[in-house]
Amino acid sequence: MPNPELAIEVDQLCKRYGSLQAVDKVSFTVAQGEVFAFLGPNGAGKTTTVEIIETIRKPTSGNVRVLGMDVATRKSEVVRRIGVLPQGFNSFDRITVRESLRYFARVFGAAVDIEALMDLTHLRDQADARFKTLSGGLKQRLGIAAALINDPEVVFLDEPTTGLDPHSRREVWEVLKGLKSRGKTVFLTTHYMEEAELLADTVAIISQGRIIAIETPARLTEQHADTMRLTLPAIDAAAFGLIQQMGYGVTRTGDAGMCVPVKNADDVRAILAAIQTAGIALGDLDVRKPNLEEVFLKLTGEALEHDSNGRGGGL
Amino acid sequence: MTPRIIAANLIVRLKSLYREKAALFFTFAFPVILVLVFGTIFTKPEHLNFDLPVQDNSHSAASAQLLAGFTTDQSFKITPIPNEADPTQYAQAHKLNLVLVIPGDFEPRLQKRQRDASVSVRLTYIYDPSSTAVATKIQLLNLLVAAANQKVTGTPAFVTLVPASILPAKYRFIEFFVPGIIAMAIMTSSLSNTLNMNAELRQKGILRKLATTPITRADWLLSSILYQLILSVLSTVAILIISYVVFDVRLHLGVWLPLIIVVEVIAFVGIGMLLTPFAKEAESASAVANAFLFPMMFLSGTFFPVEMMPAFLQGFARLLPLYYVNEALRAAMIFADHAATRRCLGVTAGFAAVVFVAGTLRTRWDESGGA
Repeated sequence: MPNPELAIEVDQLCKRYGSLQAVDKVSFTVAQGEVFAFLGPNGAGKTTTVEIIETIRKPTSGNVRVLGMDVATRKSEVVRRIGVLPQGFNSFDRITVRESLRYFARVFGAAVDIEALMDLTHLRDQADARFKTLSGGLKQRLGIAAALINDPEVVFLDEPTTGLDPHSRREVWEVLKGLKSRGKTVFLTTHYMEEAELLADTVAIISQGRIIAIETPARLTEQHADTMRLTLPAIDAAAFGLIQQMGYGVTRTGDAGMCVPVKNADDVRAILAAIQTAGIALGDLDVRKPNLEEVFLKLTGEALEHDSNGRGGGL
Repeated sequence: MTPRIIAANLIVRLKSLYREKAALFFTFAFPVILVLVFGTIFTKPEHLNFDLPVQDNSHSAASAQLLAGFTTDQSFKITPIPNEADPTQYAQAHKLNLVLVIPGDFEPRLQKRQRDASVSVRLTYIYDPSSTAVATKIQLLNLLVAAANQKVTGTPAFVTLVPASILPAKYRFIEFFVPGIIAMAIMTSSLSNTLNMNAELRQKGILRKLATTPITRADWLLSSILYQLILSVLSTVAILIISYVVFDVRLHLGVWLPLIIVVEVIAFVGIGMLLTPFAKEAESASAVANAFLFPMMFLSGTFFPVEMMPAFLQGFARLLPLYYVNEALRAAMIFADHAATRRCLGVTAGFAAVVFVAGTLRTRWDESGGA
């Protein structure tokens, strides 16, 4: 039964291309007002999954409901209530920003304040620039504005910052934070951990067509990367035996460095106290908390930004 | 089908076209240039003076009289060549395809003939068999010689020919040509614009975005058809105005012309939709379009009548939709033959209906947005 609290319900979704199982029994739900990040390396099945939810592709089997409506049977109702930024958004080359937005407004029959929408996406200064002349960041912002043209309840953003420079990426993030504060449900596909950590309420990690983890970013790191790492880059060799005696698995790094995986801050304090008591000069130190990147690497065993140039995805 | 969505698509397409001057040029100027070029080459054969270089070794009143007969009705323009020259070498050196040589004893033999009917005289013509125009000139020369012979015998001809054209009024090549160019311009722009547009939108992922909007397949197809209809009407008007102003071409412009244009646009936009899956990228779109357009253009009687081709090619031409468009346009615009127009338009309309339905079914919004 459809749950009114849920914006998206995906149940046992499968998509097969010939012998390739691109999406394999994927199930998850997204609550209304939630920012949901869908993480995975290229080719993991991210875009296939999101395009099925967006009604662009048809599933081999399984059910998908958006706002309680089955995407397979009620496509025309679904598209009116969602907004989509497809991967690598493009508009008509010789049409300006304002004209593009007016076009999408007409297509949706939406009475929208285009000027206000351009303010929201910081596009006002480029209103009369043709699409062809826009930078990558501006194109993505136009894509986001176009995705908002029908005041959708659910917004899908497929890799909104892929291929952008750090400055443009930050600008797009500002726009996305604005969406979150306006209570929109946002389904974000990305392979940038930083983006997910900054924006998402929930993170789902997909690898080889299967969901391997789904949690809040904080709990994901807590559950899956339960170690902190104490690094002592330049310390007397005597410390090695000392730390080993305390029962920690210490390893040497570089010429005079050591690295100690620990459980928590208390372990760090104990080790530092022991070093001090032994009269060993401490020098520099670094304590690193685990982040999503490490969780991801641990879970998928794959490099995140591997093949970040090509759009090996699409699947 | 939503008029609002179709209007939105039309606005974007017309603006895009207006802002790309090269596309604008090829849509309107190209057919006009074709009309101007071919019209200039072929329209005025009645004023064309055939040159006939003559080496007159007789230099007599009799030879002068013979040559005067050759220039009546402006059939030949006689240019003398020097008596001392070797006519064959002279023809080669001056790139002449036909040279007539009158022998020195032309006048004395003519006088002998008055008394003795068995006397004859030989005039030699030297010709270049590789020249395409020479056959017509030789035919004309034979006719003029026959007329001269008859004059010598002094009896009037028994059999004479009276020309009666199957066409009303005077019918020149340009009148045949203009409807062909109209049909070709509409076909080319409908098919390649549809194909290019779809390939480009798919390659850029715009179709993927459009797939998540309320645009339907019918909206998309109708937008394409209306857009092409606007371009086709404009280019037809341009062709008709130019051919009227420059070549004084007057054709029948009844209700048939707009009807034929509508049916042709639907047919070729439909083919464009059907061919779209074969043009994966914008670059291959024009190759796919040309593979289809060129045989159509040359085999359907656009530039020359189908009847000039070998029988098996004529049979093939009758399988091509453009052949029926050409026939319908000529029947309507030149001959005002309503029965023939109705028949050819009927065939075209049947074809258009089939490709329209097939094109709609082949247009795929979903699955990676292949339209």
